[in-house]
Amino acid sequence: MAVESDFSQDEKKLTITVKGRFDFGRHQEFRNAYERQPIRPNSVVVDLKDATYLDSSALGMLLLLRDHEGGEDACISVINTSPDVRKILAISNFEKLFDIS
Amino acid sequence: MSAERVLRVLVAEDGAADRLLLAQIVRRQGHEVFTAQDGEQAVALFAEWRPQLVLLDALMPVMDGFEAARRIKTLAGETLVPIIFLTSLNEHDALVRCLEAGGDDFMAKPYSAVILGAKIRAMDRLRRLHATVLEQRDQIARHHHHLLNEQRVAKAVFDKVAHSGCLRASNIRYLQSPYALFNGDLLLAAYAPSGDMHVLLGDFTGHGLPAAVGTMPLAEVFYGMTAKGHGVAETLREMNAKLKHILPVDMFCCALMLNLSYQRGTVEVWNGGMPDGYRLSASGEVLSTLESRHLPLGILSPERFDDSTEVFALALGERLLLLSDGVVDTCDDQERLFGVQRLRQVLAANRDPARLLQELMQALERFGGRPRDDISLCDVCMVEPQWQAPMPMPDAEGARSSPLHWSSHFELRGESLKRFNPVPYLVQLLQEIHGLRPSGGLLHTVLSELYANALEHGVLGLDSRLKRDAQGFADYYRERGQRLARQDDGFVRIDLDVEPMAGGGRLKIEVRDSGAGFDVARVLSGQRQGQAFSGRGLSLVRSLSQGAEWLEGGRCARVVFCW
Amino acid sequence: MADMHIDPKILSDLQEVMEEGYLQLLETFLEDSERRLSQLHGARSAEELGLAAHSFKGSSGNMGAVGLAELCRQLEERVRQPSLYGIEDLINRIDLEYLEVQRFYCAERARISAG
Repeated sequence: MAVESDFSQDEKKLTITVKGRFDFGRHQEFRNAYERQPIRPNSVVVDLKDATYLDSSALGMLLLLRDHEGGEDACISVINTSPDVRKILAISNFEKLFDIS
Repeated sequence: MSAERVLRVLVAEDGAADRLLLAQIVRRQGHEVFTAQDGEQAVALFAEWRPQLVLLDALMPVMDGFEAARRIKTLAGETLVPIIFLTSLNEHDALVRCLEAGGDDFMAKPYSAVILGAKIRAMDRLRRLHATVLEQRDQIARHHHHLLNEQRVAKAVFDKVAHSGCLRASNIRYLQSPYALFNGDLLLAAYAPSGDMHVLLGDFTGHGLPAAVGTMPLAEVFYGMTAKGHGVAETLREMNAKLKHILPVDMFCCALMLNLSYQRGTVEVWNGGMPDGYRLSASGEVLSTLESRHLPLGILSPERFDDSTEVFALALGERLLLLSDGVVDTCDDQERLFGVQRLRQVLAANRDPARLLQELMQALERFGGRPRDDISLCDVCMVEPQWQAPMPMPDAEGARSSPLHWSSHFELRGESLKRFNPVPYLVQLLQEIHGLRPSGGLLHTVLSELYANALEHGVLGLDSRLKRDAQGFADYYRERGQRLARQDDGFVRIDLDVEPMAGGGRLKIEVRDSGAGFDVARVLSGQRQGQAFSGRGLSLVRSLSQGAEWLEGGRCARVVFCW
Repeated sequence: MADMHIDPKILSDLQEVMEEGYLQLLETFLEDSERRLSQLHGARSAEELGLAAHSFKGSSGNMGAVGLAELCRQLEERVRQPSLYGIEDLINRIDLEYLEVQRFYCAERARISAG
C-alpha cells in the first residue's frame, strides 16, 4: 500500500505514511487516510521517509489535509523528508504552514 | 426470437434441393432468407438486400463462391458481414482458399440444423461485437473532435488575456511553449500610469483547462489595478484574496511579480513559490537571485497574506531573467533533471544577451527527453526612462456634468499609513473632473511622488542620500519597512481644492506630513550637480505641473494643475 | 452400411425440418438428380467429372441417400488418380444405386401426396 495510516489512541495522533511517488495518483488514498478517522486527532504527522518524489498535487493534498484538520488551528508536521522533497517544500515556503523536518 | 436476433440471411447454393433444404433450415430458426443459385446472383442480391449473414457454396457456376465472397466483402466495406462457406472440400488448399477469399467459417454437407444454428449464433455475436466497436470508435472520434474544438476556442480566449498588456515592449524578451498558457503558465506585463512596469510570471497547479481557468480572474486584477496605479503589494493582496476565494483548497498559483521603475532605477520583487529569478549584469553574469520567500497565491486568507517585497537597484543594462519550473524540471530519457547547474552553465556561456532565451531553449532540446508544454521564459532589461505619453486612464462612463467646485481632505494616520496607499483612490476621484482626465498619468506620478516624499522623508525621516548605490538601496528599503512598522503617531494629510476658472479650472493639491521638514533650496540645487536619485522627484513634480512650491519648512508641498 | 440405401434418421429429420415443403423437396431432388446424372455421363474431362461427382455427393448426402453419396465420394477421389481405369464401372454402380434411390423417393412422394 502506498499510503498507510496509524492512529495512536493515547496521543490522539494520526500518522500517515506515504511511500514511493507522492503525486496525483495517491489522491483518493491520502484523503481516505484522514477522512475516515472516527475520532478527530489532536495532531497529524505525515511521514515521508519512503517517499521518492513530491509534486504540486502533493502540495495540494497537504493543503486539503490542513483544511480538514481545522485550517489555521491544524497541527500538522511533515517528517523524514529527503533533501529533494525538502527543497520542493522550501521553494513553496510550506514551512510557514507545516512543521517540516 | 427477439427482434434484433432476426437476421437477413443470404443462401447461395447451386443445387436446387440443397438450396431448398438450407433455406428452410435457416427460416425455421427465425430468420429472413434470400436465395441465389450462382455467384453472380449472390452478389446482386447482397447489394440490394444487404443481408447480415451469407452462406456461400464454394463451387458454383457463372461465378464461384470465392469470387463472390471477395466481392461481397468489398461491398460490405467496414461492416463485418460473416460469410460461412458451404463446402465438403476437405483438402487443405481448398480450405485456405476459402479463408483467403474472406470466409469466416465452414459448413459441411450433409447440413445439420443444430450445427448451422450454433454457427449462425456465433457469427451473429461476432458481427454485433464488431458493430459496437465501430460505433464506439466513431463516438470517440466525434468526442475527440469536439474536445479539440473546445480547446481551440478556449486557447483563443486565453491568448487574448496574455496579449492585453505590454509584453511587446522593447525591453522585454520572452518565450513560451505554445500551450504554456493553457497549462496554467501566465506571463503578464503592463505599464502603470507612472511609467513603471509591472510584470507577473505565474504558474497554476495542475495542467490543461482546470489550471488555466484561474488565469483569467488573475489577469483581470493585474491589469485593472496596475492601470489604476496600485502598487505591487496592493495588487498582490487583491490577487491572493481573489484566488483564495475562487480556487478549491488544493489549488494555488505560484507567482513572481516585479515592479520596474525606470525613473528610479529600481525593481521591487515578490516571489511566492516560483523558481529563483536571476538578476544579470549587462554582460550576463549572475549578480543575485530572486528567491521565493512567500507562500504561493490563493493559500493564505487575506489577514495572513504577506505582501512584503524586496527592492533592489537595477542599473541600466542589467537584466532580470524569470523562468517557470518547466525549465529546470525538464527530464531526459533517464529521468535526470536539467537542473539549476545546467541552467547556470547556459547563463555563463551566453555572450549575446539577445540570444539568451534561444540558447536556453536549444540547451533544453539538446538535453533531450520529452519537450514540456509548460515552459515560460522572460528577460526584462533596465533601460532609460522614456517618457511615454501619459496613459489614458481606464475611463468611467463619460458624464456630461462633472463636479467643478469642491474641496476635500484626507488624513492618514497610524495603522492606515502602514498598509494603505491612498494615491490610486485619489486619482480615481480626480478623474471625475473632465478636464483632468487626459492628465491621469501625470496626476498619478505627481501624487505618488509627493506622498512618497511625505511618508518616507517626512514621517519616517529617511535620508534619500542613502540611495546612492545598489547596497544603499537595499538598506534604504529595509530601513523603510522597519520604520514603517514601528511608527504609529505620524500622519500624512492631503488637501484637494478644485475651482472653476475661465475656460476650465484649477486643482490645488497640498500634501503635509508630520515630519521635521527639509531644506528645500538645498535639495533642489543639489539636483543640478547630478545627484542620481533623490532630488529627481522634486524637479519632476515641478516639470509636470503648473506650479510647485514647498512651504512650512518643507512639511507642506503645494502643487497646482490648470486646465 | 454399404447396403443401406437411405438413412431413415436423416429422412425423418428432413421431413420434420421441411414440414409442408417436404414434397417439394422430394420433387426438386428427383429433378435435380436427373440433371446431375447427365452431367456425370456427359463429362468430358476428369475435372468436370470430379466436380459433378462432388455436387451429386453433396445433394444425395443431404437427402439421406448415403449409399449414393459414398459412391460419388469414391468417384470424386478416383478421378484424382492419373489412370481412369475402372471409372466406367464406378459410374455404372452409381446409376444402379440411383435407380434404387429414385424408386424409394417416388414411393415417398406418392405416400405424402396420398396422406
